[in-house]
Amino acid sequence: MDNQSNGSILQVKDLNVFYGSFRAVRNVCFEVKEGEIFGLLGPNGAGKTSTLSAVEGLLKPQSGFISVCGYNISEKPLNARANIGVQLQATSFQPELNVREILQLYAGIYGVEMMKDKIETILAGIKLEDASSKRFGQLSGGQQQRVSLLIAMIHNPRLVLLDEPTTGLDPQSRRQLWERMEEMREKGHAILLTTHSMEEAEAVCDRIAIIDHGQVVTVDTPASLIEHHRNDPAVIAASRKGKITLEDVFIGLTGRAIRS
Amino acid sequence: MQTSIPTSSSVLQSLLRADFTTQWRNRRSVILVLLVPVIILMSWKGLVEKLGGAFVLSTCITIGLMAIGLMGYSNSIARDRDKGVFQRLRVAPVPSWSIMVSRLIVQLAMILLLTTIVFVVGFNYDKITLSQSGYATTYLAAFVGGAVYLGLGQAIVGLIKNPETVNSTTRLVYFVFIMVGMFGDLGALGNQIGDAVKWSPYGTVKHILSASMQPTNWDQKATLAMLVTILYAIVFSTVGIKWFKWNSK
Repeated sequence: MDNQSNGSILQVKDLNVFYGSFRAVRNVCFEVKEGEIFGLLGPNGAGKTSTLSAVEGLLKPQSGFISVCGYNISEKPLNARANIGVQLQATSFQPELNVREILQLYAGIYGVEMMKDKIETILAGIKLEDASSKRFGQLSGGQQQRVSLLIAMIHNPRLVLLDEPTTGLDPQSRRQLWERMEEMREKGHAILLTTHSMEEAEAVCDRIAIIDHGQVVTVDTPASLIEHHRNDPAVIAASRKGKITLEDVFIGLTGRAIRS
Repeated sequence: MQTSIPTSSSVLQSLLRADFTTQWRNRRSVILVLLVPVIILMSWKGLVEKLGGAFVLSTCITIGLMAIGLMGYSNSIARDRDKGVFQRLRVAPVPSWSIMVSRLIVQLAMILLLTTIVFVVGFNYDKITLSQSGYATTYLAAFVGGAVYLGLGQAIVGLIKNPETVNSTTRLVYFVFIMVGMFGDLGALGNQIGDAVKWSPYGTVKHILSASMQPTNWDQKATLAMLVTILYAIVFSTVGIKWFKWNSK
């Protein structure tokens, strides 16, 4: 099984997720192509994490279709997951294990050969050569994020899911991550990114889906989104300095009310 | 960029290596789990002649099995679930059963270690010896008895999500089992409680352990106790698996 003929690595069609009687995701459709960074933007509780969890296979949608590299996630979950690299929002590894042991664990799980000297080399590649014997909890936020991304990429997956990866990072670490994401895109990886940062979405995403109340409101490139909604009264009302930004479009489309 | 699914054996091997390393790093709590039965074994030195070696050894192993299932296993599952360790593993191409099987194998090793330590201390300190078949069948009975308390621990983490509540509940259950079980079994709490204790998870596990130490004396009561023990293990495990959630949020 390989990716679809149109170059889609991830296809999501008519996805519906319920929590009891609450419908968290409503008929969501989108696709992520090879070598594309696709942003999923939405206010708190909009359905981003539920959508991502369904793609990761962590929750079972009530209806809809999800395919990763041509593998239906409900029919061939292991094949689909073998093609996915994931950085969860609250990633945690066994606190008793050090970085080298965590890398060995995930290398084994993904069936990747990982000898001690190779681990040292790849840690040196992300400037963490001294961290191999440290526990994950002893690393700084930026270092933890780099290790998490390293593990997400350990098996060279075709689809990478990044759930708010720059939350809590300093500007240097954030820039470094953006550069890594762009390198991954150049190598042909497809990236699905959720973020609350409009600056980040504008800086790295090729296309963006704005999701609200469980529904996809719009899908387009950041520049086209700004261009198409430039004259919407709600967008103009959201504008603070006269110049329309992606954040103005986002607030114009999803409303000004604070979500829980 | 070609990806393939690793074999179940290589996944299990990696999980086992990590879980055994985790257990080794937690050796202080492992020692505490093993210490209670050893202390009882040593403090009951004078009672061995009166109560019998099988009674003393089976009591110590039962208390150790409770500690493994209730204090060790359930709390580590509750903590890792709360920290998102399981969610991170589950987004990998890992069958969910392999995550639990790896954890259970570590606990089986703990049961093996506990039983061996009780035998060694019992032999060296209290001069309690069993026949070769007695040792062998006691190991088997310890695995069956261990399944009851691992099942009970699983049921507690299945029914309770909060790790602090799991911790306090398992401590309470452990304490009640020790106090009511041990003193009830010794007849200190009256006949009615003594009879109830005999068919409780404490009593049946202790009975099969005690009977398996003298396999030639295995009788119908021991068989019944074994059946009830297996029933407890099945009921607790079913509840624990049915209600278990991988995510505590």
